[in-house]
Amino acid sequence: MRFMTRGDKILVVLLVVASLFSFWLVKEINSKIDSRYISIQVNGEEYERLRFATSDEPEHYELETQFGRNLVEIGRDYVRVIEADCPDKLDVLQGAITRPGQVIVCLPNRMIIEIRGEAPDGPVIDDTVR
Amino acid sequence: MLKDIRTMIFMALLVGLALAISLFESVIPIPFVAPGAKLGLSNIVILVTLVVFGFRRALIVACLKSVLLMLVTGSVSSMFFSLAGALFATTVMGIAYFKVSRKVFSLIGVSILGAVAHNFGQLSVAYIVMHNPYVYSYLPVLVLAGLFTGFFVGLSGRYVTANLKQHFPQKEKKAL
Repeated sequence: MRFMTRGDKILVVLLVVASLFSFWLVKEINSKIDSRYISIQVNGEEYERLRFATSDEPEHYELETQFGRNLVEIGRDYVRVIEADCPDKLDVLQGAITRPGQVIVCLPNRMIIEIRGEAPDGPVIDDTVR
Repeated sequence: MLKDIRTMIFMALLVGLALAISLFESVIPIPFVAPGAKLGLSNIVILVTLVVFGFRRALIVACLKSVLLMLVTGSVSSMFFSLAGALFATTVMGIAYFKVSRKVFSLIGVSILGAVAHNFGQLSVAYIVMHNPYVYSYLPVLVLAGLFTGFFVGLSGRYVTANLKQHFPQKEKKAL
């Protein structure tokens, strides 16, 4: 009785190749799917939905409403307000937000910027079944 | 079905053995590789049953092992995963062993196929439970881990069956 038959070896090689390939495939697909988006709300209602920038060059979005004016900078993985006409400039001072669930609020201008969607590294596990 | 009392007792022993091994295995954590990957040692018992006693009895041992494991550990949800995995693995191993020429796959190949089928069965239950096809993206990791464990399971299965077949030579013809 031989140690491993030819069929065994072919099977092992096939499985290794297939799993490595699909491993790579899954990684590739996961990196492309980005369910996150930036939701800009004014006066409690969603005003605009924006995507993150696709290049390293940040994009700018100017929000001009009856309540005031804010200039939003959108990078590949962050959002921040760089200019505002509100008196305290708290939204500018807050800096950038990067993760789903985080918000920037500018009360005088009644503006909320929120990142929505799933985190790219998956949701936080809160329970497991064994 | 089990007329021969010797066979019957031996089957009971096999079920007990599979149960003990599964229980032992569920206690030891595997530090490397992914969570959910197990050694699959109880597959040795199912493989041996398959080879020595035939497909039907291997199915019986696999079912009993999963159900009894649920009674012992008390986690009902894991029984569905275990049961689906074991049934699927046994079926695939049965086909690989009895329907495919012996020259193609040795016990190692059969056992690796069984390990892969086990993972697939479990993930399918996970898919049914969670309604999320992304659980299958976990398959490559499990398959890679299953290659190693399946190899050694097949290897030990070969040594065990070599001895056992001398004691239970009768069941070779009727199977599946």
